[in-house]
Amino acid sequence: MDILVGSLVAGILLGLVLALVALGLTIIFGVMDIVNFAHGEFLMIGMYTGLLTAQATGMDPLFTLPVAAVIGFLLGVLCYNGFVKFLLRGPMIAQLLGTFGLMLVLRNLSLLFFGSEDRSLQHGLLVGQSFDIGMGIIVSATKLAVAVLAVASFIGVWLLMNRTKIGKALTATALNRQGARYMGIPTERMNALAWGIGGGTVTVAGALIVNFWSVNPYVGLTFTMIAFTVVALGGFGSVPGAFFAGLAVGLIMEIPGFWDFFSITFNLAWMSNVPMISFKYTWIYLSYFVIMLISPRGLFGWKH
Amino acid sequence: MEALKNAVNFSDFPRIDRFVAGAVFCFLAAYPIFPHSAFAMATMIQFFIFSLYGMGWNTIGGYGGQVDLGQAQYVGIGAYTTMVCLLRWDIPFWISMPIGACLAMAWSFVIGYPLFKLRGHYFAIASIATSLVLKDLFEVWKFVGASRGLGILPSKYQPPDFLRLIFKEDVYYYYSIFGFFIIGLLFMNWFRKSRLGFQLRSIKDNEDMARSLGINVQWAKIKTYAIATAFVSVVGSFHAVYIKNIEPEDTMSLDLSILIALMAMLGGAGSFWGPVIGAGVLIPLKSYLKEWLGAAAGLVGIDLIIYGLIIMLISAFEPRGIWGMVERLRRRKRI
Repeated sequence: MDILVGSLVAGILLGLVLALVALGLTIIFGVMDIVNFAHGEFLMIGMYTGLLTAQATGMDPLFTLPVAAVIGFLLGVLCYNGFVKFLLRGPMIAQLLGTFGLMLVLRNLSLLFFGSEDRSLQHGLLVGQSFDIGMGIIVSATKLAVAVLAVASFIGVWLLMNRTKIGKALTATALNRQGARYMGIPTERMNALAWGIGGGTVTVAGALIVNFWSVNPYVGLTFTMIAFTVVALGGFGSVPGAFFAGLAVGLIMEIPGFWDFFSITFNLAWMSNVPMISFKYTWIYLSYFVIMLISPRGLFGWKH
Repeated sequence: MEALKNAVNFSDFPRIDRFVAGAVFCFLAAYPIFPHSAFAMATMIQFFIFSLYGMGWNTIGGYGGQVDLGQAQYVGIGAYTTMVCLLRWDIPFWISMPIGACLAMAWSFVIGYPLFKLRGHYFAIASIATSLVLKDLFEVWKFVGASRGLGILPSKYQPPDFLRLIFKEDVYYYYSIFGFFIIGLLFMNWFRKSRLGFQLRSIKDNEDMARSLGINVQWAKIKTYAIATAFVSVVGSFHAVYIKNIEPEDTMSLDLSILIALMAMLGGAGSFWGPVIGAGVLIPLKSYLKEWLGAAAGLVGIDLIIYGLIIMLISAFEPRGIWGMVERLRRRKRI
């Protein structure tokens, strides 16, 4: 039983962070219909930012989020104005491959600067701390703090999108670009802003994830695919969709844990023989495929 | 008979095209006679392999406009079929290659049917997802060597072995893939003039219009997808006997799928010469960049940075590829 509840808790905590990872992707997609392959690379940069800032200043890694947010915002705006703006004129394949090129450049630049070895945080207020929440389930303090901070950032972005004038302008641009332009909304600047918010949220997520996940320059692609799945499940362009889909995908990532629970509880030999842990990400790809077939709009999608 | 006549008939190209293509053809046919390094030879074979991949992708991605980023799974199916057949049952290449193509086509029908219900971005990402699922399966499947892959020991056979296509000298490989290349070009020449080719181009221009004109859009896409996969898996089989060592990471990775699509796009997606031009530019560039820069100490990955920058520049400023540039120049001259 403790494995089941433990997996549930771990899945939900991870899911909250994954929701934040996917938030940027869904905003960018919603506003300008472009799929960003470099999304995972932004996350990787956020992870390095969190890690290096914490190491350089001696701050606790949880307090490096503002630095990561600023860097991510600037990176997003820079990418939009320097590159993506030109992509939007071309056909879809050019957009896909163009952001793939961006991904290659970012990945290999960080390989050049940071080296290929795995790095992880060794110290910090909460690193290594954990507590018992009953029934023998141990939750590490970092994961809990990270999940809480992820929810906080999510609420922040949700408020920005729904309760401010800028958010309304963004939504208007997403709904009808031409109409928004006639109403006097600077749609070009809104695009840049969407990339800024997208970059900012994902680097914050990266700075959070680095608290419990080691970082190397190749970490990005896995997260890109996870983010695609979350966005597909939640509906392309939907902010609340991303939140609930993130939780669901977090639970999907814990399938090996559930599998163990069933094989131990019911004592099924064939189940314990399956190397479930090597299919950890397969479930994500598979669920993306299935979700797209059942409902291309996802749970809360309004774009098709 | 009609099809064969169409395949060898290149007369609808402008004279200058035919002249340049003929000159390049003669050069390629005579290339092994000239003095060359082993590295240049390997690069040339890579060029043929990738231009064939590009042609396969060009049917569905270029003419049909369906951006498929999962072609690597068919490279894997072809390569693994040939490898497993050779190692387990000693089945020669010329028999295992069609088996691989049939398996690839069967798999393409299985996933193509649901896949083509999606459009645009959704289709592209779903095709990536299927490819990655298959790769994950191959990485734990003990029968095909799991993540360590399979390898041929050439010493077990007596090269030159024309039945199994195992040679010591690259010249043999060069001419065998050159043969495939010619057949591929002829096939593409037939395809672009076939009924299916025209149907696909109309689907690319306007899918709803094509449907209203009575084209079975779904079926046309699935058929073309099967053709593309057969193409790619045949070349994948060749890749297996040429490289002699395959593993899921380098035959089925996303990078390979992207490289295939990129090749066709760089040359010009949806044009006859596009994949060949794209492979001719990108493959030498990639392998020589790696040779010159990748090996230099302290500069890990700089070749890939340059490569990524080229992708970015092409897709931002010349999304119709090199062939698009040529066509624009031509149009300007005529005016």
